Amino acid sequence: MEYMSGPIDRELKKGSAELLVLSLVEGRARHGYEIGKLIEARSRGALRYNIASLYPLLYRLEKRAWIKGQWVEKAGQRRRRYYRLTAAGRGVLAAQRSGWKNFVAAINRITGIEHA
Amino acid sequence: MPDPEWARALERRLAALGVAPTRRAEIIAEVAQHLAEASRDALDPREAEQLVRELARIERRAVLEPPVFGKARHTLMTTLWQDIRYAARTLRLNPGYTAVVIATLALGIGANAAIFSVADTVMLRSYAYPDMDRIVALNEMTRDGKQMSIAWPTFQDWKAQNRSFASLALYRGAAANLTGDGQPERLTAAVVSSDLFGAMGIPPLVGRTLSANEDTPGTARVAVISERLWRNRFNADPSILGRAISLNGDAHVIVGVMPLAMRFPSRLTDVWLPLGPVVPTFPQSRGVHPGLYGIGRMKPGVTYEQAAADMDRVARHIEAEYPATNKDVTVAMVPYFEQVVGSIRPTLRVLIGAVGFVLLIGCANLANLMLARAERRQREIAVRAALGAERRRIIQQLLTESLMLAAIGGTLGLLLAAWMVKLFVASRPVTIPRVDLVAVDGRVVAFAALLSVATGILFGLLPALRASSPDLLSSLKHSGRGGGSSSRRLRSALVVVEVALALVLVAGAGLMIRSFVKLMAVPTGFDPEGVVTMRLTLPPAKYADVPRWLAFHDELVRRVAAIGGVSAAGINSAVPLEGGGSEAGVLAEGQPIPLPGQVSTVTLFQAASPDYFRAMGIPLVRGRWFTDKDSRSGPRVTIVDESLARRLFPNEDALGKRVAFEFRHDPANPDPAWREIVGIVPHVRHYGLASEPPFVQLYTPFDQPPRYYEERHPTMSLFVRTSLPTDSLTAAIRREVSQIDRDIPVYGIETMKTYIRQETEQPRLSVILLSGLGGLAMVLAVIGIYGVVSYSVAQRTQEIGVRMALGATRRDVLRLVVGQAFLLILAGIVIGVAGALALGSTLRSMLYDMSPRDPATLAAIACVLTVVGLIASAMPARRATRVDPLVALRAE
Repeated sequence: MEYMSGPIDRELKKGSAELLVLSLVEGRARHGYEIGKLIEARSRGALRYNIASLYPLLYRLEKRAWIKGQWVEKAGQRRRRYYRLTAAGRGVLAAQRSGWKNFVAAINRITGIEHA
Repeated sequence: MPDPEWARALERRLAALGVAPTRRAEIIAEVAQHLAEASRDALDPREAEQLVRELARIERRAVLEPPVFGKARHTLMTTLWQDIRYAARTLRLNPGYTAVVIATLALGIGANAAIFSVADTVMLRSYAYPDMDRIVALNEMTRDGKQMSIAWPTFQDWKAQNRSFASLALYRGAAANLTGDGQPERLTAAVVSSDLFGAMGIPPLVGRTLSANEDTPGTARVAVISERLWRNRFNADPSILGRAISLNGDAHVIVGVMPLAMRFPSRLTDVWLPLGPVVPTFPQSRGVHPGLYGIGRMKPGVTYEQAAADMDRVARHIEAEYPATNKDVTVAMVPYFEQVVGSIRPTLRVLIGAVGFVLLIGCANLANLMLARAERRQREIAVRAALGAERRRIIQQLLTESLMLAAIGGTLGLLLAAWMVKLFVASRPVTIPRVDLVAVDGRVVAFAALLSVATGILFGLLPALRASSPDLLSSLKHSGRGGGSSSRRLRSALVVVEVALALVLVAGAGLMIRSFVKLMAVPTGFDPEGVVTMRLTLPPAKYADVPRWLAFHDELVRRVAAIGGVSAAGINSAVPLEGGGSEAGVLAEGQPIPLPGQVSTVTLFQAASPDYFRAMGIPLVRGRWFTDKDSRSGPRVTIVDESLARRLFPNEDALGKRVAFEFRHDPANPDPAWREIVGIVPHVRHYGLASEPPFVQLYTPFDQPPRYYEERHPTMSLFVRTSLPTDSLTAAIRREVSQIDRDIPVYGIETMKTYIRQETEQPRLSVILLSGLGGLAMVLAVIGIYGVVSYSVAQRTQEIGVRMALGATRRDVLRLVVGQAFLLILAGIVIGVAGALALGSTLRSMLYDMSPRDPATLAAIACVLTVVGLIASAMPARRATRVDPLVALRAE
């Protein structure tokens, strides 16, 4: 998504955040710090979530039972809260993915930006 | 555990948010974990501030985000559950909005459910009589529409010649003094032919009904009693059959008990007596109509029209055979159901319409409210729709919310209805059939449920459809300020509809009120304040002797007048406003004796004791009262009303003139029994407030009763002017009566004010209900106008700011805003007036001396609504004039 060079519209960021989090915990359970870091890294710094925006987002998703958090203590490590995708979350993710794809495709068709 | 300063600060703030302690600990632990991963020491205050704000949204606000994402693997049930939870949270977080919506719905649905429960009991729910549509009431009727009871020989012919009825029965209302064990009791009775039970189709609870041989004279005196009497008087004695009870002094053997479902001829009927013993008293002339009425059950397969044609054929046959008595006489038939509900139906229809209107106005308001809310959320919905939310899901979610509101409103409404119905039944309205059966039952609950769903869809669907079809681009462009021109039009249309509906309702209420005021102003001719009336019927066997009959009453009046607290006591053979009495042609001395059917003036005649007038507060216009000297042996005298004096003696003084009403239609031997007019009193309303036939009135001294009364003693009513409470007066009178004759029940105890209240009951109920509903409608319409104008002002703040910046004065702005509201109100009023004119005729039967299209009332109501509507729109308009142009422009 190189074309997203400038500051990303707040609304877009908000609308897409759920999709991002759901995608990241799809394959394996991750803790909050890890999720924040991955978003920042994979978006090459375009998207950044601080504590104040990341955790409320996670709690919201948890409240909707799309993800589930669990405290895990591994030997030699500190206690961490890991989030994994629930069955409901999996359904939502699939729907959001296709919705997002359609949206992006539509925007691209209109604005003429070719997919990189 | 982290216990640095930031953690304590966060803990405090989360606690203030109402976050549970364990949850607080978790959040802090997780933040601490994050800080540790990021190798940071503390949460900086700005981040903490933002976190708390965001968490507050999660705990309180953020839950408002609707779960409209996703579709895969989501069954209707899981999404529905999600929507319900979401709606519940939304509503909890907007208590003001929720309360307004629920209150509106509860009032609307409650009023509808209450009226439905009455209408359902009276008009819709199946009566206990099987195949009630086959039961028909019959009467004789002249071809110009005058109904009469049935002559005995004519009924015999009907029965023999008709081909349509499986059962054809005759009945006559009666009353009986039940004496013997316990207190004497006055029972509502009916003398009936045996076919009555077959016609009504209700089998006996115990024993048998009357049998055909009991329709003929000479059989044993038997009686069928009601379940109520059986339980109350005889403790449901299983061995009641064969027991003899004393009715009017004659022993009757009980042969059966009818269940409570048998409510014919009246729900109060406690004993059914056979026709046989009274058949010999029936006149054999077909010209005499002795108070016998017919009821029949049509054979299966026979339609009402066929039966009517059949009875007409029978009537024509009789007419041809007995032209002297039966010329132009036919049969009046009406379905029994019609007979029961006919008089109440127009009122119920109007009320059903009125509550429906109120609910519609409420729905219009709610739709407006929902529309405004949906528009505030439009942008959010637009983004979500773009991100894959299906339209169906958005509609489902919004509808869930409105249906939930409707369900809560409906439940509260049902409670309200149950309360209102209880209150209504407890007020014992006597003019509404079956009112004792009215209750909020399963059918009412089902109705309320249905109504709630319909309402929820009605006020929820329109906004949901609009909100869910957002033009993405336009919505984004408007940057959160919804309210395109199409929605403004919709909103305006809703207000116009509201005003129109409210006008129709308020106009109806206004007409009812004016009509009621007129009705209450009708002069009754007496002063009801402090007057108690009660009745005594002496058994004919014991009191056949006229002097004995007179002596009983004279003694009674003397004793009652002597009771402490009684200022006057008198008796009369008729009770004002009761609609009953004896009538006869009347003529002045010197006028020729008219032929039958050519009587020009009909008088109501009554026998009254001297103090009757004082007891009733009837003033003497001229002349004198009756005195004890007006005895049986004295010269015959009469007191007449002003209408008689005017009619018979138009240009002379009636006092001292003689009149007769007991003459025979026999020129050779008229035997007129002239009476001298000694006093003139005002006309007293005897038949009702709203309708009084053109009969004049006269009184004879009780000790000089009309000859007719000497042969047939009427039931006399006692009238007592007293300061005593009715109960203690009744007890005192009962004591006095039992000292004269312990077998005479005193019954029909009422104050005259009760008579007037019963007389005005239906109009009073209509006035109360319609005024209440009209007021409610007006309030709702005003709220609607206020809401729409406020919203439009809020939408146009910038525009108004620009106008003011360009030199518009406050007055200009006021004129702009109020002017637009005025157009809406005016449109509503024009449509409403048209509606009121169109619907006016439904009110006609409920109005007394008023046109249902009374222009003065309509004009007044239109003015009131306009003024109230303008005031409602002026409030937000004034707010608009206080817009600071600079502030408004900066917001752009």
